Amino acid sequence: MAEAQDEEIMQRVKDGNLEEISILFERYQLKLYNFFLKLTRNRVVSQDLTQNLFYRMIRYKNTYKSELSVKSWMYQMARNLHIDYCKEEKRTGELFLRTDSYPVDVSEEIDGFPEDDYERLEQAFSLLSLEQKEIIIMSRYQGLKYEEISQIINQSVPAIKVAMHRAIEQLRGIYFKQI
Amino acid sequence: MIDYLDKVLDEAGRAEIEKHLVTCEACLDELNETQKVLKGISKEEMEKPDESLRINFYHMLHSQIKKEEAKFELPINQPAAPWYSLRQYRVAAGFALLITGTLIGLLMHGSIKNSYAANELKQLHTEISDLKKASMFTMLQEESSSDRIQAVRYAEDLVNPDQNIIDALVKTLNTDKNVNVRMAAAYALSRFTSQRMVCDSLVKSLSIQTDPILQVTLINILAEKKEKNALRPIQEIIANKSTLKEVRAVAENSLRVLI
Repeated sequence: MAEAQDEEIMQRVKDGNLEEISILFERYQLKLYNFFLKLTRNRVVSQDLTQNLFYRMIRYKNTYKSELSVKSWMYQMARNLHIDYCKEEKRTGELFLRTDSYPVDVSEEIDGFPEDDYERLEQAFSLLSLEQKEIIIMSRYQGLKYEEISQIINQSVPAIKVAMHRAIEQLRGIYFKQI
Repeated sequence: MIDYLDKVLDEAGRAEIEKHLVTCEACLDELNETQKVLKGISKEEMEKPDESLRINFYHMLHSQIKKEEAKFELPINQPAAPWYSLRQYRVAAGFALLITGTLIGLLMHGSIKNSYAANELKQLHTEISDLKKASMFTMLQEESSSDRIQAVRYAEDLVNPDQNIIDALVKTLNTDKNVNVRMAAAYALSRFTSQRMVCDSLVKSLSIQTDPILQVTLINILAEKKEKNALRPIQEIIANKSTLKEVRAVAENSLRVLI
């Protein structure tokens, strides 16, 4: 039996069948959670942002336009939520006692990539600009195609390819300089 | 080069690169380094979030559905009422099942001891409380001030809030743009003044609040607690020329309790 398309589901949600959004939740919560996790490296925050994303999808369901794919819409909102979070952190971070963040630790070894090296890579990654991080995450971790990314960040596919190559180059440069 | 390593480059392109690599050692190094980097960032497994994410989501969905139905009036061109109420029933039943399913299922089991069921009940209570907690953090960021006030109210119900909750309340007290939300936060915090940290935060807040309503609220809370540390900010408020006379009156009154 064919699965219902994201767009069909979202249309039904718009029409008032709110509970159908749970289908989208089950489909995407893992990916979106990990999207935030790669950016914030904080589990509690990532969970919060994921929760907020789905809340917004419901609250602002009427702003969803069917010309945009649901995926692009969600990732657009996700990026915005993350940027808002960064701004908020910057604004109030210095004033108040910071509660412990929950750093993501790497316990397994990936083929041919010992733990120490991986940590250094993560560090190098954290030094990239936000735009570079987003592109690498969306393409390599989230498996989004360039055409999809193009819809999300509103840039042409060639521009994204160039940005991607530059980001990898940058990452390579930082990483290998550390050793 | 990335395309080559990803094996998406066409025949001609591949041949060209391989031909070049034979002679150019610098490029070979670059290729190997890039390959290593790509391998590192291609980690496939995704981390699973805590189960509370799912629980919170369904809780939130349920309250949103309730909200929609509360303002929903049967328009003339809507399909017949029975279909609508069936959906409502379905959702309510589904949610009830989620929350109580564990407990019911276990109680049906003949061989389950009483203590085990009691533990499950305790776990359920914790889950519901965790559910409220996590909703709170998200909702404190929401656009609508009534959502944010609701979030603060969740915190008030907690018996023993942890540090994260207290921090979030203090932050709301000091930075929320809506005065009613800040007030709600002040009242919520007043329930936990047995904690030294809460008192200190309230005192600190008093010295930065400019809204007269907040000033009066905080002065009263601190005076009731007989918090001597509040003396200085209160005296500063009295001395400040731009303080409203009503606020000054409350401030002066509170000195009698504090000195």
